[in-house]
Amino acid sequence: MKFLFIISLRNLFRQKRRNILLGSAMAFGVMILIIANSFSHGISDILFNRIVVYVAGHVNISINEGKGRDLPLFRDRDRLTKIAVETAGDKLIEYNEGVGIFLRAIGNGKVENLVLVGINTISRTLTQKQREEINESFKMLYGKFKDLGNKSIENPAILSKEKADALSVKPNDIVRVRYRNIYGQTQSSRLTVVGIMSNDNIFMQGVMFVELTNLKEMMGYRPYECGSIKLTLKEPQKDAADVADKIHSALRPGPAFILATAKVLNQDSSMNPDVSTSENKNSNPNTISSNNQNADTSPRVTLIPFMGNDEPLKKLMLSSFKLSSGNVKDVFGKDGMMVSDYLADILKIKQGDKLEFHFKPKFITKDKPEFAVREAIFSAVVKGIFISDDSTGKETIYMHEALFYPKFYENLPDLQSDSKFAFIPKEKASFKPALGTEWVLLDRSRSTDDLKQKLRAAGRKKIKAATIDVNSMYESASDVLKLENALNIITFTAVLILFFIILVGVVNTLRMTIRERTREIGTIRAIGMQKKDVLLIFVIETAILTAFASIAGTILAFISMAGLSNIAFQITDNPMGILLVKDRLHFVPTFIGIVGNIGFILFISIITAFFPSRKAANLSAADALRHFE
Amino acid sequence: MNIIEIKELTKNYPLGSTIVHALRGIDFNIASGDFLSIVGPSGSGKTTLLNIIGCIDNASSGSVNIGGVEITKLNDKEITDIRLHKIGFIFQTFNLIPVLDVLENVEFPLLLMKNRSKSEVKKRAESLIDAVGLSEHIKHRPSELSGGQRQRVAIARALVTNPDIVLADEPTANLDSATGEQILELMKEMNRKEKTTFIFSTHDSNVIKYAGYVLKIKDGKMVN
Ligand SMILES: Nc1ncnc2c1ncn2[C@@H]1O[C@H](COP(=O)(O)OP(=O)(O)O)[C@@H](O)[C@H]1O
Ligand SMILES: [Mg+2]
Repeated sequence: MKFLFIISLRNLFRQKRRNILLGSAMAFGVMILIIANSFSHGISDILFNRIVVYVAGHVNISINEGKGRDLPLFRDRDRLTKIAVETAGDKLIEYNEGVGIFLRAIGNGKVENLVLVGINTISRTLTQKQREEINESFKMLYGKFKDLGNKSIENPAILSKEKADALSVKPNDIVRVRYRNIYGQTQSSRLTVVGIMSNDNIFMQGVMFVELTNLKEMMGYRPYECGSIKLTLKEPQKDAADVADKIHSALRPGPAFILATAKVLNQDSSMNPDVSTSENKNSNPNTISSNNQNADTSPRVTLIPFMGNDEPLKKLMLSSFKLSSGNVKDVFGKDGMMVSDYLADILKIKQGDKLEFHFKPKFITKDKPEFAVREAIFSAVVKGIFISDDSTGKETIYMHEALFYPKFYENLPDLQSDSKFAFIPKEKASFKPALGTEWVLLDRSRSTDDLKQKLRAAGRKKIKAATIDVNSMYESASDVLKLENALNIITFTAVLILFFIILVGVVNTLRMTIRERTREIGTIRAIGMQKKDVLLIFVIETAILTAFASIAGTILAFISMAGLSNIAFQITDNPMGILLVKDRLHFVPTFIGIVGNIGFILFISIITAFFPSRKAANLSAADALRHFE
Repeated sequence: MNIIEIKELTKNYPLGSTIVHALRGIDFNIASGDFLSIVGPSGSGKTTLLNIIGCIDNASSGSVNIGGVEITKLNDKEITDIRLHKIGFIFQTFNLIPVLDVLENVEFPLLLMKNRSKSEVKKRAESLIDAVGLSEHIKHRPSELSGGQRQRVAIARALVTNPDIVLADEPTANLDSATGEQILELMKEMNRKEKTTFIFSTHDSNVIKYAGYVLKIKDGKMVN
């Protein structure tokens, strides 16, 4: 074998010019392939780990509490993040509350539009890699990143050199900002410049950073609330879709209800009909009323929402409940509320009476007195009385979703502890599908188009419950990812070109070589070399050539990449600028990629060499010896 | 004892739509240790006959028995093994392997045989190179040698495996007559020393005097 190898190697040197030519073509192909591959890996790296992470996250849990507007608000942050983090498990690098707002910033006599982004600098522990990445993309020209968390400064902020210049602000200056909070109200705040950074990522140049808790407060979130959540994964391409699927199934909502005590208001309304009706119509159900009378009976009741905005579900309710009083249109309409006959008896109420409900919210914040609601109170008018049975429950009140959800979310009750005392209709109850859940989980989408369509459909339904949508980057950022596919085509083209170089080059070279060496083949066959060894000599010859060419091509590729990434491109106004890192092309050669490519090339050149070599080995020795050039 | 027994051997070559009858029924035996010359004009079938005896071409009909083995019935792998172990070739155009030096060319057949130690191979090859008088040129490539020197290397290569038969197809045709005679002398000497059977072909009646026996053929037939 060693001896065949020596013959092959020496034969290669024999036809120097021809083999150098073929070898150079192969080396060139390998170089292009490795560069293309590294470039496309670099783009993937930028897309998945530098852009998609900021834009959408690898997996994104988006919330909309609705009220006819985009309201990214989830009332129980810890519950949501716990589900997300536990489900993603060790595939997760970190999660972020994706909060950011567009705002107008007023500096020293200058006005600029900025994006304000919250960064969790206080409670987060960074891995070494993350710290490097932060240092890489946030070059601090002044101040320190961790100053964002300084509590003794009013809203510390870091902004890019470009924006600092545009606003003509210096460190320690105040930037006043105007923006809308999540409820749509216009707000203004003062930010203190604690740092200025230079930035290579075009995304980051219009961004001002503040500590997440500060930003959330500015935006109107209470400490236990959150907006959408973005997850950053270790291996996004591999895991994103799977993690999104798993989180989606972990987020199946339970039934929504409020366990409250009910009191009767305006018991004498029948005596004073003109006053009470007008009062009822205009009264804000939120008003905390204290002029209650007849407070001796306050039974504990379960308030249950039904999805009255959805026509088929509303019909299901209609057909499942028998009313002993009340008008169907009112009971199942927008302010609809029906009380069980049992409760009506106890409370001695009839249609048109007003009930006041008291219940305990889950979150009572001690350090922020304005959030310290110990008891939530609201009232509503009885529109009808239904005949109760085992499936409907006796101490139950059913409410239209439009009436129920605002109260439910405003002071989210502790469903887990309340469920022990509440009446929750059984799964098999005919009207169960019409009852409201804690939130509505949207189906997983397959693409960005699918996602948009789904959100539009959900909007049309006027669902009053919050909606939760779980997306991986493949749906939420599929437009961005299309770019990746385009780049993979470049790599594929390089493979194709190389394939043809090898096919044509190897076949031709071997044909020529075999013709020239026919008599030699005859000689070695006559002396007693077996067919398979003759075949091997030619195959080894091609394999050695390919191996040398691959090594040369790899070296050339690295030299070229080093050269190319030395060139700084000053692209600031072109969207392609996002594909640069520090103004330079970003190549990410991978060991597996290179070894894989070379292995693939060796494979095809050996396959290509096999057929002409076999033809040479099958030559009759007598014919081959008779052959003259 | 006959090392080769040939009976009613014919060989036809298809040539376009006609058939060339290169051998038209050859019968003869060769005893072990003979120094036989096949003589005949160009195109008489000498090469064809030697190729068949050397197992690099197959007969159209008849039987060829070498050392007790009927070679017309063997497959390619077996016949290749017979060539390696029992037969040595010397060609008119020397046919050395150009990328190998003298030593490597002579070692070549031994390296094709399995289970031979490197030192054993080298020793055997060197002794034959010595015997053909080329010890000084052991590291030279064929292109650095004269025609006579190349044919000596070929002789060493043919004999290195200690074959039963050495076949030489017009071994002197590409050499001047003085060198040709030296080569035939060398072959004769080897035939004496190693007791190897030699068969060489020639169309030159001058060299017939070296032959122990002469077989004359013409138009694919033996003539007396
Ligand atoms: N491969 C072949 N195809 C057709 N005819 C051939 C072939 N080889 C040899 N011949 C013919 O067979 C005859 C004998 O040839 P050959 O054995 O080479 O003669 P010699 O070696 O005595 O000159 C010649 O007529 C030659 O033309
Ligand atoms: Mg001839």
